[in-house]
Amino acid sequence: MTYLPTPEHDELRAVVRELAEERIAPRAAEIDATAEFPWDLKELLAQQDLLGTGFEEQHGGTNLDTLGQCIVAEEIARADATTSLIPIVQKLGALPILLAGNDEQKDRYLPRLASGEWLIAFALTEAAAGSDVASNRMRARRDDDCYVLNGSKRFITHGSVANVLTVFALTDPEAGGRKGMSAFIVETATPGFAAPRVEHKMGIRGSPTAELTFDDVRVPVENRLGDEGDGFKIAMGTLDRSRLSIAAQAVGIAQGALDQATKYAADRKQFDQRVVDFQGIQFMLADMASQTEAARALTYAAAARVDANASDLPYWTSSAKLVAGDTAMRVTTDAVQILGGYGYITEYPVERMMRDAKITQLYEGTQQIQRLIVARQLLQRAGVSTPGRR
Amino acid sequence: MSNDIAFLAEYADGQPSRGALELAAGAAALAKASGGAAVALAYGSGAKAGAPQLGAAGATRAVVLGDGEAPAITFAAAAAAAVKDFEPLVVLAPAAPNGRDLAAALVGLLDVPAFGPVRSVTVEGGKLRSEQATLQGTVITVSEPTDDAPQPAVVLVLANTFTPLEGGGGTAEVSDAPPADAGAFGMARTVESHPAEAAVANLEEASVIVAGGRGVGSEEGFGPLHELADALGGAVGASRAAADAGWVPYQLQIGQTGKIVKPALYMGIGISGAIQHRVGMQTAEHVVAINKDPDAPIGEFADLFVVGDLFAIVPKLTEEIKRRKGT
Amino acid sequence: MKIVVTVKQVPATTAEKRYTSDLRLDRASAESIINPLDEYAIEQALRLQESGAVETVAYLSMGPESAAEALRRALAMGGDEAYLVTDDALAGADEWATARVLAAALDKLAPDVALMGMASDDARGSLVPGAVAAIRGLPLLSYGSELTLADGTARIRRLTAAGFDIVEAPLPVVASVTDQVGEPRYASLKGIMAAKRKPLETWSLADVGVDGAALHGAALTRVVEARPPEAKPPTERIENVGPDEAATKIADWLAARKLI
Repeated sequence: MTYLPTPEHDELRAVVRELAEERIAPRAAEIDATAEFPWDLKELLAQQDLLGTGFEEQHGGTNLDTLGQCIVAEEIARADATTSLIPIVQKLGALPILLAGNDEQKDRYLPRLASGEWLIAFALTEAAAGSDVASNRMRARRDDDCYVLNGSKRFITHGSVANVLTVFALTDPEAGGRKGMSAFIVETATPGFAAPRVEHKMGIRGSPTAELTFDDVRVPVENRLGDEGDGFKIAMGTLDRSRLSIAAQAVGIAQGALDQATKYAADRKQFDQRVVDFQGIQFMLADMASQTEAARALTYAAAARVDANASDLPYWTSSAKLVAGDTAMRVTTDAVQILGGYGYITEYPVERMMRDAKITQLYEGTQQIQRLIVARQLLQRAGVSTPGRR
Repeated sequence: MSNDIAFLAEYADGQPSRGALELAAGAAALAKASGGAAVALAYGSGAKAGAPQLGAAGATRAVVLGDGEAPAITFAAAAAAAVKDFEPLVVLAPAAPNGRDLAAALVGLLDVPAFGPVRSVTVEGGKLRSEQATLQGTVITVSEPTDDAPQPAVVLVLANTFTPLEGGGGTAEVSDAPPADAGAFGMARTVESHPAEAAVANLEEASVIVAGGRGVGSEEGFGPLHELADALGGAVGASRAAADAGWVPYQLQIGQTGKIVKPALYMGIGISGAIQHRVGMQTAEHVVAINKDPDAPIGEFADLFVVGDLFAIVPKLTEEIKRRKGT
Repeated sequence: MKIVVTVKQVPATTAEKRYTSDLRLDRASAESIINPLDEYAIEQALRLQESGAVETVAYLSMGPESAAEALRRALAMGGDEAYLVTDDALAGADEWATARVLAAALDKLAPDVALMGMASDDARGSLVPGAVAAIRGLPLLSYGSELTLADGTARIRRLTAAGFDIVEAPLPVVASVTDQVGEPRYASLKGIMAAKRKPLETWSLADVGVDGAALHGAALTRVVEARPPEAKPPTERIENVGPDEAATKIADWLAARKLI
């Protein structure tokens, strides 16, 4: 198993970087200011086959290895975190289908996702069930050849722009979230579905974070993923993999901020010398750089283990997301510091990067949840019985 | 083999181009150093009748490659035959599309070395020495023909490298090029010609250029720039951003994918000065920039950098210039 | 109908470049890209292929072995096959030698159109199209802002001092196009993956029938000196003054240099 990028990975990076620098970076400030979903960039990414990287060729994808998918997310996030969510969430939403779907379901939905014709979102979180997934309350009642879904979801990225969702609901409320939850594919054109609200956020403002309501939404039985009761396992399996894209996003954000800070420090003069000539600044940049590299290396190590189907996958992906998210927050904060007053104003991108970085410590499992996962894995390895929940 | 210095002289409606007059002066100077004669290779409509006057411009002789309107490349075979006839030391060609094409044809037909576009060219000890700015102006190279290279050396010369002679006299001795089959080059024909309503200045020949960029904002925004250019007796140019936006005709675009210009005065108005534009104008003698962004890259290499609102400054500058000129 | 587009690998515009101690361009010293003006030629060829006017689009380059990267990038944009002429004897080749070698390779490939960008970013000589046409004895259609093919002829739209002309010649031709043909496409991910499977052949000088000895050491010109440009005096700045004062100061500056 190797997790050094190959020359092909380097070429992929160069191509995505060129696209990101020429077409995505110039739009980033506007997307943040208007909080509008960048449909034009979604089209561009679709055209360049960048929404299909996680899908197999038979479904119209390019089937990049996980490291390649991380590089794509990283390079786009370096230019704009909001836009990087487009390929990231496309994979996240589709993972339940990839993990638990049958061939008929895959053939029916994956091609349109790989081509970018349709957008997909992952609808798990509820207002009262964030970190505590098992306390989900949405219901799916079996009625003949359908399930009828009732309830609501909150904080669903792209929920208001998606054509299709993977939704988690209780088919057996008595059994509770762990054993009674099932997963469904729901097309948003179905009557009874609505996305009544999107949140106003600190960062990734162009990415719509929606509240979704399901009012007697009828979903055919053919759209259930796996068996009744498989939902919790499918959700956890999804998150074990998808959180790695967030690690990659965080690495990209950090790199973008580091590059901006370096450039600024080299141009700006104070006290008769370039800011970058002060050792204090060099020390900051060095810390930012080495920490970003460490986060990147860990992310790539986790990517290699995803492809190797490692049995301790969560140890790796949670570690990567934990380290990368905290790194992004630290590096972007330092970048603002290096730019001084200019770092605080919207004319320069680092304040946006800092606001964008925060979410990587929150979504797809907060840093605290990641720590619980790493601790559990660690203790399992050490042969210690798994600790209680608190 | 001779020590003559030949140069391409393009004619249109009986008039020589400015490039022809510049090269005539350059050829005359080089001929003094080489001990040969300055010889024009004249082509285009009215070339035959106009060729004698090249004497006043610096030429001793003029060989007429062909008369009449046809794409310049169709005269390539005649040029090669003429050059083969007296084997000059050097052939100077203008670094504009027609000049480049004819120079290229000579290189291919005669297997001779090519130099340029050059920013200076001299003959020293009977040998050509040329200087060019390569790699977007980051390196200056000096080149010469190898010891076994045949004559002539073909040299592309940027506009405004030589200055046309003033008050010269004399007539050039005119002859026709040896007969030559135009060959494949003669097969290119102009099948349609669509002149625009207004003539657009040839930027490559302008000695003053007022160029506008993204900061000018619109076609109307170029109005004050046109007035400034008029007051200075110059031409208007543009960056790629302004040309792509349609604020000026494409022919005015200066830069990596547009024209390379070498005016005595270049004024960049509302132009940031990114490298792609810079390579088109960095050999200008004097560069003045006006931009509201104090950190614009053009401020690094301009001779004079003015931070301010171009819409406020340009009209006042035009007024001030007119006042000083007494117009 | 076959088009061969010549592609040159050049140092990136913004990269730092330098000459080696033996006065050759240090091609390893900078990040390499496809010559930006060649991308327009590639785009024009691919558009003609998409419209059905052309069946095969191939790429030809001359350079060190690493120039194969530029050819793979071109193939990633589209097209069918690529050829690289590489030979130790070609190190430091000048425009004349380049034209000789490309002409020989093009004769071997015998396309209907040999299509080139109007100049290369590093040397900016732009003589290769005309020289190649002269060597091959073919018509030249240069500086086209659009290339079309019909009934055994090629036509270009060429911008003139004011307005434009349409110039035509019978096939086969050598043509060059400007950046007016339209924005070059980005290579899509599928394109990049497909490019790996497309044929790329490497040829030596012998393969294209050029005698290395006849190439005069691949140049009729030589660089005798390479130096950084003259240091310019620092930029004079006028700032924090009103427009009237700025205008007066600029006029003073111009007058002092006899520009007005």
